[in-house]
Amino acid sequence: MSIGFSVDSGFAEAQQAGGNLQAANDMFNSAFNVVVSAEKAGANVSSLLVRLNEAADVLAQAEVAYRSGDADLANSMAARVHSLSSDLKSSAQAEESATLASNENTLALAATSSAVGCVVFVLVLFLVWRKLKSVYVNSLRDAKPEVVGNEA
Amino acid sequence: MKLKDYKLVFVAVGLAGVLLIASPALGAVLRFPGGEQFSELYLLGPGHAAEGYPFNILVGKSYSVYVGVGNHLGSSAYYTLYVKLRNQTDALPNATSGTPCPLQPLYEYKFALQDSAYWESLLSFSVSSGYVAGNQSSVNQLTINGVKFDVNKPSAWDSNSSRFSYQLIFELWLYDQSSDAVQFNMRLVDLKLNLIRTI
Repeated sequence: MSIGFSVDSGFAEAQQAGGNLQAANDMFNSAFNVVVSAEKAGANVSSLLVRLNEAADVLAQAEVAYRSGDADLANSMAARVHSLSSDLKSSAQAEESATLASNENTLALAATSSAVGCVVFVLVLFLVWRKLKSVYVNSLRDAKPEVVGNEA
Repeated sequence: MKLKDYKLVFVAVGLAGVLLIASPALGAVLRFPGGEQFSELYLLGPGHAAEGYPFNILVGKSYSVYVGVGNHLGSSAYYTLYVKLRNQTDALPNATSGTPCPLQPLYEYKFALQDSAYWESLLSFSVSSGYVAGNQSSVNQLTINGVKFDVNKPSAWDSNSSRFSYQLIFELWLYDQSSDAVQFNMRLVDLKLNLIRTI
């Protein structure tokens, strides 16, 4: 009776550890996806990756513990990974939002300054062109006509 | 130089100038393709060089190798590195067809790497329980980085390679965002081992 209970409770514990590990993996993947999104948005993700690797290391240990039959350790480590990944995901989302907002400002500033710069440049170039053209035309007008004798 | 020639010079200078002035805004919008994208997996001996790899293994003695991964995928990547032990009868992985070794992994590493970054770790292992008797051998328990695994892998004497054939396989798996799963990255290295009775 007691052996049967012990086997059942061991099986349930292993099953629970398996479920918790899956949840930890899902949360970790989700955190990684947000970190990559933040990176693609242009954020500096070095510190986020350090925290991600801390969680990844614990996740790998949890997987190894689960495979070697230590459901207790796997359970506690999976819970830690879930918590670390969840915090990390929030930080990465905040970083991504801040970077996207900053990118919008930077892009607007770059677009405005480029547009103004282009207009000023073209205007200056046009004025220079007009001046050069008038100098060229005047030089042609002032040029003495060359008299060519008619031999015939 | 005629007026038409001056006009051409002005138009060229104008276009170049406009492109130059607009480059900060264009740089923020345009994305140019990068180079070849791949991941790198390597194995080094205990002296941190491609030599001195453990081969003749004594039961109870600890050995070590360096295993490393380089990310050249153009963005951060999340890797899983599986460590497996195979004997002469276990199926082989096939990097060409992209089939990993069908064995259950024993140990594993997980890590995220930024583009152009490297990860490296010293892996220590020992056959904590095993035997060699005549033409038969067995690795009963393998310890990797202090974690014990009951493997119970027998191996008969292989006269072709003159050893009791074992292989420690390192497989690189990569997390794929679109499928939300880790996939075999077709990168693997292996360490050929021979279980011996005495040195």
